[in-house]
This record gives sequence, structure tokens and C-alpha cells, in this order.
Amino acid sequence: MRSLLSLAVLAAASVVSAVSVTGNRLLVVLDDVAEKESYSKLFGSLADRGFDITYDTPRSEDLQLFHLGERTYDHIVFLPTKVKALGPKLTPQILLDFVNAAGNIMVALSATTPASTSTVAFLAELGISLPQERTGLVVDHFNYDTVSASEKHDTLVLHNSKPVRYDMWDVFSLRDDEFLALPHTVGHTLGAGELLTPILRAPSTAYSYNPKEQTEAVDPDDLFAAGQQLALASAFQARNSARVTVLGSAEMLQDKWFDTKVAVEGGSKVSTKNAEFAKTLTGWTFQELGVLRVEEIEHRLKDSNETNPEIYRIKNEVHYQISLSEYRWDAWVPFNANPNDPPQLEVSMLSPFHRLNLAPEEHSATDRTRTYSTDLILPDQHGIFNLRVNYKRPFYTYVDEKCTVSVRHMAHDEWPRSFVISGAWPWISGIGATVSGFVMFCAIWVYSKPAAPLVKKTQ
Amino acid sequence: MAGKKNARSEPAAAPATTATSTPSAKAPLTPTKNPIPIPTPAQPKAVAAQGGWAQVFQNLYDYYLSETPQRTKLLDVFLLFLVLVGALQFLYCILAGNYPFNAFLSGFCGTVGQFVLTISLRIQTTEANKADFPKVSPERAFADYVVCSLILHFFCVNFIN
Repeated sequence: MRSLLSLAVLAAASVVSAVSVTGNRLLVVLDDVAEKESYSKLFGSLADRGFDITYDTPRSEDLQLFHLGERTYDHIVFLPTKVKALGPKLTPQILLDFVNAAGNIMVALSATTPASTSTVAFLAELGISLPQERTGLVVDHFNYDTVSASEKHDTLVLHNSKPVRYDMWDVFSLRDDEFLALPHTVGHTLGAGELLTPILRAPSTAYSYNPKEQTEAVDPDDLFAAGQQLALASAFQARNSARVTVLGSAEMLQDKWFDTKVAVEGGSKVSTKNAEFAKTLTGWTFQELGVLRVEEIEHRLKDSNETNPEIYRIKNEVHYQISLSEYRWDAWVPFNANPNDPPQLEVSMLSPFHRLNLAPEEHSATDRTRTYSTDLILPDQHGIFNLRVNYKRPFYTYVDEKCTVSVRHMAHDEWPRSFVISGAWPWISGIGATVSGFVMFCAIWVYSKPAAPLVKKTQ
Repeated sequence: MAGKKNARSEPAAAPATTATSTPSAKAPLTPTKNPIPIPTPAQPKAVAAQGGWAQVFQNLYDYYLSETPQRTKLLDVFLLFLVLVGALQFLYCILAGNYPFNAFLSGFCGTVGQFVLTISLRIQTTEANKADFPKVSPERAFADYVVCSLILHFFCVNFIN
């Protein structure tokens, strides 16, 4: 009985602990607190995962993101609001400060409500642009839902089977027969920033238009974006690994889109995978997925037991290893890097002298970390070197670890002796010949007759 | 002193016109003797014009054997040996490369240094140069030579590592 009880307590504890690594205080900003009912499944899932959810409106007086310089929330979700601006408590600058303080933000937009100017300005700071007039609707006459939008074609049915680039983590990918439904979507375009990654892009037949102004036809000059340049969901991961996601369709998170069945033209009805996608998207944004942690760094001279010495000699053989683990929903698990794109070790002084792939070591199933290691020969250059692992990949938090070591030159007695080098033997024997010739010369000189001084004297 | 120098420079200038290496080797020897030897080397030259170079060298060789003190001959043999050893080392460096460079420097410079020191000894002990080193006896010169050579050997053996 008692063991059963403790087991239950343990289970409960594990459920409660199943939460983001950066904290569990979640703020949801929506137009009307009563609106949360239509998102009850999403918020129910978040609450189950241990988030402490606060609902608030931009008009609220006591809404505060910072108190005494500290964040009061760890994560924010913005649902569409009808206000023109989010007010003095949620200015773009405050939102940027929030991201700089390692807070995570998820912005959900909708074509039915224009985005607030604060949101537009905030996203513009990150390099994400929204259509003119802060609104737009993405339609696709080939990939629409025949059940709900057979006339307007404004509910997109997409399958997101591949990541944007082949070598990226496929965390948001679905199987080929699984579909997402995106009703009333606002598209956005991404700037050239390297911190931006599209999660979901529009199909090549989609385009964006303004339903209020461009009712008849879209003038090509006024077209905001079309095809794959339209992003429907995007991720921004700041340099401090804080995450911002933008989702074009807030309605896809609503309960009714979690379990409806949709059908593409000529296809059968299938239920959407919106619930799974919403869980992955919130989990990734709120640092429940793809969070990397460096457990241990060790470098040592080969065949030596002293770890992490401060000084090495040039051309020393050094073993370097780094242990990485990854947070996945509720536990740290070994991090398995893409074998074609492994973490790399840089031996750098100003610029890298070596950049070496780190190979994963064998590990047992019980391990919580995965060790990556390499053996290297230090460069033939003395000075202060950094052993640096700089691993920055989309959808993973950044790893940038430096170990600074001194590399000294050879001591004068560490060079090989000349008699060890066979090439030097002729010169050694040259000295030998000179010295022995000298000794023999001296011996004969001493025993030889001096020059007749008498002759000299007579002169 | 001045008279001696003049006596030396005169015959030296005369053979220089013949433009062979042989007179310069003879030149230092001439003042040691009486003025009489001067015609002796001069005569073979006249003969050489008729009898060929072989006669010249034969005469030089004979003169060298007869007029050179035994110690100077010993010095010359040792010098020849050093030139041989140095040339071999240098040849090896050209053919096989100079790695390890310190060994090459040490071996070759040791031989060259020994050569230079021996030349110094030869200059100081030659009777003809006695006037230039009035305070240096042959024994003193030899002692200097041994000390300097030992320092050189010590340095070379250290440097070859």
C-alpha cells in the first residue's frame, strides 16, 4: 500500500516536473479572457505539461512583464486581439527586452483580425514582415479544404513532410498521409537573418491578398508574396537561445480544428494533425524541445590522467571530449547529432588552426548524455589557444564552449638528440675526425723537432 | 725592419707578373733566406717556359721539401686533412640535405674553425713572421692553439646536441 502510494506521488511529481527548462510561468494575451474557452484543448495540454497559465488582455492595468528588473513571466502567447496597439505595457521595446532576458514568445495571427501595430513592429525588429495594412489572407486554389472552404479556398490543407533544408532537425515534420488545416492564414516573409528558420511554408500555388481592398483581382505590383516565399509559421531563435515563433493561423489552435476532418480536392476525409503540431510548436517555443546542455568537457594529454591541464606543448597529442544532452519534454536524453553534420572542435588562435569533426562515442541505454570526442595533434605554433565547440543549428539551442589553454614551445631538452637522427651521423663523425686529427696532430707536434732557431739567430 | 719589408715586397712583385699560384707560395719563404734563393725560384721559371709546367711543380715540390721545417710540414698535412674532412661534410650536406641543421653547422663549422686556428698557428710559428710576433714564442703559440681548439671542440660537441 505504502509503496503504491509513493509510486503515485512519484508519478505526480514527474508529471509536475514535466515542464520547460526555463520556467513554467506562461502569460496568454487575448482579447477577452472568455475567449480562452475556444482554445481549451491547447491550454489544457499546456497546463498538463506543468505550465502555470495566466490569462490577460492588453487593456489590463496590472499587466507587467518585468518587476524590479526581473521577468514576471517566462513565456508569452499572443492570440489575435482587436486593439490597434497593445498599449504601454507591451510595447515592441518591452517585448524585445523580454526576449533579451531569455523569455520566449509565440505570436499567433489571424486573417480575420488585423495584427496590432506593436506586434508588427516587434516582428519587424526580428526580420519578419507582415503584409500591408497589417492583414492579408493566404489562399491556394489547389490545396484547400473542400469541406469548409470550397468557395473561398482560404483554409489551406498542407502536409509538412520535410524540413525546409534536408539537414535540419525534422521536429515539425509529419508523415506523408498526415495533414494540417490552416484556416484564415496570414502569411509573412522572412528577412535574410540567419536566426530565422521557416517551420511551415506555403505551397508554390498559394498567394496572399487583402480581402478588403483586392476584392476583384490582385495587381502584380501590389502582391505581397506568393508561393514558397510566404511563410505560414516561422521560428526565430535569438543569440541567447530565447525563442520567438510566429504562426499565421491562430484558428488552427482552436478546439474545433483539432478534431475536424478535412479533405483536399479528390481526396478522402482525414482528421487533422493540428493538435500534434500545436503541441510540438508550443513545446519547441517554450523550450521543452531541442534544448542542448553541455554536461562535461574534458581534454587531456593522450596517455595522461590529468584532466583539463592549462598548458600543453606544441604538437602534443590531445584527447578532447564533450558530453551533450538534450531536453525532450520532461527529461534529459542523450543528444544524437546528425551524423552528416556532427559538432566540430576548433583549435583557434584568432582563426581556427584545426576544425575537426567530433565522433560520438559508444554509450549505454541508461546514459543521459552522449559523449563526442576526437584526438588531435596541436598545431606547431605556440601561444594561447581556444578549444572551442561552436554548434549552432536551427531548432537547437546554441552551444558555444571555449576552453583556453596555453601551448608552449619545445623545451631545449625535448628535441631529439643528433645521434638519434641517422642523417646527422656524417657530421658527428666529421667532428670526431676533426678532434681525433687534432689530438694526433698535437702528439706529433710535441714530439717533433722544433724549427732550428739557430739559423734565425744568425740572421 | 723597413729594409726587410722592402726586400720582401720586391721579389713578391716580380713573380706576380708571371700570374701563377706558385710564386705566391714561395714569396713568404724568400725573405727567410739570404737574397741568394731569389734567383733559384726565378731560374726554374725561365726553364718552365721551355720545359713545361711539370718542371715548375717538380721544382716547387723539391724546394718545399728541402726548405720547410718539419713542424710546418706537419701543419700542412693537418690542414690538408681538415680541408678534406670539411669538403666531405659539405658534399654530404648538398647531396643529403641539411637536416638536422644544427648538426651540419656544428660539424662543418668545427672543421672550418679548426682550420682557421691551425692557419693561425702556422702564421705564428713560421720563422718568416717572427718579426710580426716578437713576444710570441712557438711554445706560447702552441699553448694558445690548444686552448682555443679545446674551447671550439667543447662548443661544437654541445651544439651538435
